[in-house]
Amino acid sequence: MAPRHAAVSPLLALGLLALAGVVLPLVTRDSYYLDVATTIVMSLLLTMSLRMQISTGQLNMAHISFMGIGAYTSALLAMRAGLSFWLTLWVGALVAAAFAVPIGAIALRLTGPYYFLITFAFSEVARLIFNNFFVDLLGGPSGLVEIPPPRPLLGVAFTGKLEQYCLMLALFLLGAAILVRLEYSRFGLAAGAIRQGELLSATLGVDVLRYKLTAFVLGSAMAGVAGGFFAHSHRVLHSSDFGLEPMVQLVIFTVIGGVGSIWGPVIGTVLMTVASELMRELRHYETLVFGLVLILIMLFLPDGLVSVPSRLVRALARTRARRGAIGVDVAT
Amino acid sequence: MSLSLLVQALLNGFGLAMAYVLVALGLTLIFSILEIINFAHGEFYMVGAFVAYLAFGVWGLPYVVALLAAIICVAAAGVVAERLVFRHLRGKTLNAFIVSLGLLWVMQAAAQLVFGVQDKSVPSAFSGIVRLSGVVISVERLAVTLAAATLIVALYAFLEHTRTGRAMRATAQDADAAALLGVNIEAVSALGFGVGCGLAGASGALLAPIFSVSPSMGALPVLKAFIIIIIGGMGSLPGAVLGGLLLGALEGVGTLFFSSAAVNLLGFLMVIAVLLLRPRGLLGGT
Amino acid sequence: MRTGLSVVRVVAALASVAAMAVWTPAAAADKVLPIGVLGPLSGGAAAYGLDTSRAAEMKADEINAAGGLKIGGDVYKIKLIVYDHKASAADAATAANKLVSQDKVKYIIGNTVGATCNAVQTVTEPQKVLFSFMCWGTKNLGPDKPYSFRSLLSQWEVAEPFYRWVKEKHPSIKRIAAISPNDTSGIDTNTAVVKYAKALGFEVVADEYYERGTKDFYPTLTKILALKPDLLDVAAAPAGEAGLILKQARELGFKGAKGWTAGVNPVPMISVAGKEAAEGVWTPANIDVTSEFVSPAVRKFGEAFVARYKEVPGAIAIANYAAFDVITKAMVEAGSLDTDKVLAALTGRPHQTIWGPVVIGGKDTYGIDRQFLYPVVIAEIRDGKLVDLAQVAPIGLKK
Repeated sequence: MAPRHAAVSPLLALGLLALAGVVLPLVTRDSYYLDVATTIVMSLLLTMSLRMQISTGQLNMAHISFMGIGAYTSALLAMRAGLSFWLTLWVGALVAAAFAVPIGAIALRLTGPYYFLITFAFSEVARLIFNNFFVDLLGGPSGLVEIPPPRPLLGVAFTGKLEQYCLMLALFLLGAAILVRLEYSRFGLAAGAIRQGELLSATLGVDVLRYKLTAFVLGSAMAGVAGGFFAHSHRVLHSSDFGLEPMVQLVIFTVIGGVGSIWGPVIGTVLMTVASELMRELRHYETLVFGLVLILIMLFLPDGLVSVPSRLVRALARTRARRGAIGVDVAT
Repeated sequence: MSLSLLVQALLNGFGLAMAYVLVALGLTLIFSILEIINFAHGEFYMVGAFVAYLAFGVWGLPYVVALLAAIICVAAAGVVAERLVFRHLRGKTLNAFIVSLGLLWVMQAAAQLVFGVQDKSVPSAFSGIVRLSGVVISVERLAVTLAAATLIVALYAFLEHTRTGRAMRATAQDADAAALLGVNIEAVSALGFGVGCGLAGASGALLAPIFSVSPSMGALPVLKAFIIIIIGGMGSLPGAVLGGLLLGALEGVGTLFFSSAAVNLLGFLMVIAVLLLRPRGLLGGT
Repeated sequence: MRTGLSVVRVVAALASVAAMAVWTPAAAADKVLPIGVLGPLSGGAAAYGLDTSRAAEMKADEINAAGGLKIGGDVYKIKLIVYDHKASAADAATAANKLVSQDKVKYIIGNTVGATCNAVQTVTEPQKVLFSFMCWGTKNLGPDKPYSFRSLLSQWEVAEPFYRWVKEKHPSIKRIAAISPNDTSGIDTNTAVVKYAKALGFEVVADEYYERGTKDFYPTLTKILALKPDLLDVAAAPAGEAGLILKQARELGFKGAKGWTAGVNPVPMISVAGKEAAEGVWTPANIDVTSEFVSPAVRKFGEAFVARYKEVPGAIAIANYAAFDVITKAMVEAGSLDTDKVLAALTGRPHQTIWGPVVIGGKDTYGIDRQFLYPVVIAEIRDGKLVDLAQVAPIGLKK
């Protein structure tokens, strides 16, 4: 079975993304722009892995909770056991994956809206635990503060915005490469088949549960990596960082971008983050405008922003066809 | 732990349960007919409360008029929302999710701009306390329960015994088959959305005098509504009533022994348990 | 033929504009001083955020109308930059970063909601940006955060004098119940109340929390009232929720004393609770701008605020207004916008503000003098109005 064909070679797209990422700090060293860029790149890791899960037909509302597990694990190991970030980051991801196995096995017994609801319930349980239980360990409603930054590596200190941006970029590109490889392999084919029709896929011999669980655990590990980075760069953790609001934001970025393409989340995340930063000027009108933007995009671009190029192409083809049929310039 | 304390705790839980069941029924009706989860449902509840605040609290109209006005206004708003926005999203869960979030923000921000951020109080339509051997029953809450129960019974009658209601149930069961049988799916969807929102608006108007009214008041009731319909079963009216009573009992009695955070946690664990053991809910049918 | 004449016209227009720019005498070198304000401007905590930003707006407009700030040899007009962090810590950090690196702000005056202050401090402290806020929490002030100030009395200054007053004036009260929302300010407030009440000899029968957004308090109140408290303290509950708790407590039959340790705005609370339930509530460090007991300055501020924004300001608004006042005056006195110099002009001496005299102290509690201290006015709600009963010193202020 040959892997799917993409409109643009995936390696080329990945390469362009890497190029853009590397060029940015050459263009600007401004602390705020680097801060926003770092947030975007971290969100990209989260939304692309979420999209990978959606591609197997599951909207996992607990994705953000695994980011939280990675974050708290890495932070606490660094603070209490004195371990280095360069180790705790990966331990955090492993712990997130370890939690994902049983939780995924339980949740994936359900499908559709029931799966959505059970993962939502899990995410609320996680948030309540982060906020109210094991307070001596997790910090309670006041949060976990004074998390140490990453220790210097190869003589480079990671306390500045530039170094943190480069670190997150490297982590993201690693994750993106894995996701691209998956998408254009048998996994991607199976995922597409599952999304189109689970029953049919199962009849054809696709081990539906295995694919979904793999997507769940892998996605959770990636979320855990993002969480570890978040903990040591923000240095303050609070349960609200892993609650419904940020999770909803991830879903919005992913769906607005378009779940049909692996690059959908990239477009969605970048454009929506930039838009909301620009909308800060609107103060208390920000929420209103943001809401309207969401509604309009979903109504007029139901396949997401990533469908804009193909829609333009089709619109152009239609105009050309019309012109050809009438033989005269229709648009005056 | 005296018996009267336990009884009081149970009554506390049941006291407003029916009002939350109204919200849950609206949510599940919309889900059954249009196959979308409307996250802005809590905002329709909030609009109902504000209509009651204006009609009863500010303009001094009789409470029953305010209640009817709330139901009608919110139902109309629901129909408009369905015609303008949601009809295009039938069955598209992901897109409907995003759109309803957008609507949530638009409605909340609009309410904040129009009414300001401070909580507004609405005078009580009923007052009085009944004390029965150490147990306190608020007449106001009793009235709310009766009104909500009446609306629930009316909804049941509508769905079972009127042609439109049966058309709605048919659409909920199988939209394609219903269309083949001559049901006007478009009209049923619009009406169903309107009725669903109207129920939420009714609940908002009923609870407005008991609670205060604010733009963000819809979040907690809609969360409760989700828990109720999961426990009781999506698409089941008696299930929603049972779910509301169970959740009420958990919260009323649980608070006596545990912290509020632990009670919330228990609620979600209960949801997970039901989803695993009986995903269709306790009384969920098809 | 359109081209020739229109080109001439355009060039002429441009030339005249250029000429005007050159010949108009340059306006007196008015420089711009950007000052940042942060807060939750939407969502559940918006009342606090809007009190913060509106107060800053009023003071900034006042200063600009009076000609601006004369610092060193220059005149500065204040440009207020306000961002909504929606009560999210991560968002607050990004907004603070934007203020500091994009908008070139060296002063952030105003922020509320516990965890967001810590997040903002990760940006402001390393960059020596002066940050004045009203968040509650012990971890917000310290010798490792020399550029951070709290402009509102917190529970650590207020709880002890308040309960000491209760003990002296009402010795029959022995059993205390405290209820607060389950967040940073709630936990800190209850902790302070429990600590000081116990130290003073009270018995704390209930130390309860509720989830923010709760409106039905019957279950929690049933639990608390079964323990027969003499005084019910709604501690850190915001106005709307405090009003509901008191109203429902009365319905459930509670007839004891009532307190509101961390209350900041009585008017909306009374509106929700109703006059009977609010009757007799004791509240320290609160303010009712319509009361006959407040100073003319406060009354004037309140009237101007209501006229402009149609909502009544609370203590948070007045605190930020005072902070803005104090900090801008320190800039003028220091003759510089350098935060170290302004810091020196701020600390070590009392300031005259809308509260009256304010001292920046708190070294014993926090290890550094960065807490605005002003008299604690213990008041009682009578017939829907706040009546001042006593004025006591907050912890840290030696009267």
